[in-house]
Amino acid sequence: MTILQFSDSPDAKHQVQVRAQAVFVDGVCVEVRKHAQAGFICTQNGRTERLLAVSHGDTIYVQLRGRSVRLQRVDPTRAARAGTSAGGGGGGASLAPMPGVVVALLVAAGQQVKKGDALLVIESMKMQMTISSELDGSVKELPLAVGQTFQRSDILALVITNGDAL
Amino acid sequence: MKKTIKKLFIANRAEIALRILRTARRLGITTVVPMHAQDQNGPALSQADEIVEVFGTPAVAAWLNIEAMVAAAVKTGCDAVHPGYGFLSENAAFAKAVEEAGLIFVGPSAKVIELMGDKISARHFAVTQGVPVTPSADEADNPATFEKRALETGFPLLIKGAAGGGGKGMQIARNEQELSQAIQVARAESLRYFGDGRLFAERFVVQPRHIEVQVFGDSNGKVIHLGERECSIQRRFQKLIEESPAPKLPGDLRERICAAAVKLASAAKYENAGTVEFIVSPEGEFFFLEMNTRLQVEHPVTEMVTGLDLVELQITIAEGKDLPLEQHQVQFSGHSIECRILAEDADAGFVPDTGKVLLLSEPSGPGVRFDCGVTQGSPISADFDSLLAKLVVHGADRAVAISRMRSALAQTTMLGVTINNDFLSRVLHHTAFASGDTDTGFLERYKADLTPEALTLVEQQMVLAAAASAAPDISMTLIPEPYASMGAWRN
Repeated sequence: MTILQFSDSPDAKHQVQVRAQAVFVDGVCVEVRKHAQAGFICTQNGRTERLLAVSHGDTIYVQLRGRSVRLQRVDPTRAARAGTSAGGGGGGASLAPMPGVVVALLVAAGQQVKKGDALLVIESMKMQMTISSELDGSVKELPLAVGQTFQRSDILALVITNGDAL
Repeated sequence: MKKTIKKLFIANRAEIALRILRTARRLGITTVVPMHAQDQNGPALSQADEIVEVFGTPAVAAWLNIEAMVAAAVKTGCDAVHPGYGFLSENAAFAKAVEEAGLIFVGPSAKVIELMGDKISARHFAVTQGVPVTPSADEADNPATFEKRALETGFPLLIKGAAGGGGKGMQIARNEQELSQAIQVARAESLRYFGDGRLFAERFVVQPRHIEVQVFGDSNGKVIHLGERECSIQRRFQKLIEESPAPKLPGDLRERICAAAVKLASAAKYENAGTVEFIVSPEGEFFFLEMNTRLQVEHPVTEMVTGLDLVELQITIAEGKDLPLEQHQVQFSGHSIECRILAEDADAGFVPDTGKVLLLSEPSGPGVRFDCGVTQGSPISADFDSLLAKLVVHGADRAVAISRMRSALAQTTMLGVTINNDFLSRVLHHTAFASGDTDTGFLERYKADLTPEALTLVEQQMVLAAAASAAPDISMTLIPEPYASMGAWRN
């Protein structure tokens, strides 16, 4: 059994089980036949479509009728950990929306910031983006220095509400 | 002075390197293309007569290194350099270095790049030629009063780098509160991209159309235009969809805009290919925006409607020959549209994506041209621009071009990195686009309409089933328990 999630809705986890000529998706049987390179003919509920799908690491790219969808394979142990560590991370963590490099740090650790204040500037593919604070509080962490690279979803800054335990 | 180009160094990469290579090869010119350890999968590399390795960290630095680029051209015995677009294409020092090395620069002279490539001097020049410009404030006039003068110009204001281009280093300020931060960000970006932090503020015309004119000049002072392109479908001031002719542009206004472009280029004694950009207000006023002293990304739409090869014209002029045709010989036929296929997640705010092209399927059919800069297996890293390919169509009229583009977009598959073809397809299906009601606010205005519909439950189940089948580690049903239940994490 494997757990998959759509990249645009990571909260919903789906259980899939691959069998000969079929895949069980959250307990529902979808008929699947391999068709040419990366092609899969799926039949479900009377409807048949040809989909294209390829995987790269834990990311899977699927195309249905010209529309592309990205999915992630979820490590079940990590999924379980995430479920039990409620309150960790939290609303003050600014995650990288894309892989890239830090161009400028606009605040220092310990500094007081307001929601919407610019914290740092990142760059990817020649595009710069300003990362702003999600809340009023103080800057707890700026884990990266100028020039350091990061991957998508890495923590770029952590701001905590004043009064929260450091 | 006439000289024949025999061997051409293409100081670029990806789709435009291949585009230039194709014309050079057709003309019997030997081609040399640079290769970097981080960029070895470009399609031009497998077709070039020679490859020369270039170095730099990050990789993009190699293409921005004037000395190294000229040295590579000299070392390989080239007699000319084509800069393509981006990188050093509008760098006067590069044009000068190429000339000083005794090579031909396929583009205007360093002097003309200095005059017209700099937004501020180009604008001053336009004013002296009677070409209209928008109200503005130039920091160089007096840095101490820049913010005050910018304020007086009126909001909304566009703050941009004096040396900039391609939408880099541009900020918009809607009111006094936003002004100082916009100045700060624009200056930082401008310094970083162009090594020049000088700024320029100008009134932002509301709901403008972006219309540009392709011009060509030769050494005899003859300048012609190859018509206009409309490039109003933009996000973050960067073009996404371009077309020619501009929809709903009255004939007399088109003539006046093209005439202004020719007048400006003639006065500048412009040689080779150039583009004069204008913004056109809903009332039909037009203002000079800037001049791009190089071949544009979107030049194929002009090629489609004129039947001319713009790179061939560039080479002819660079060889010191005359323009082979007169203005009245330029014939316009049908309608052409270009879509930029980018590595980005358009539905998540146009953020760039990285990955690897694992599956590539190119569109084809009557009137379809696909200028592609990647091959199956190409890694897509954050090192380079997100432009992966250009999809260009031509049809007898705009409606035919739109239908061809819709179908070609649906045929385009690039899996392994998120691309924007679904988003482009939604724009092409929008009724306002179909009726030609395009201005630079289009994508923002119709944001809700352009948001994809959620997948139905059945579609989700099919996608999950295909995904599970495609991920090799998890489809190994023959692995005995307990290993099978550990899935991909079994090591």
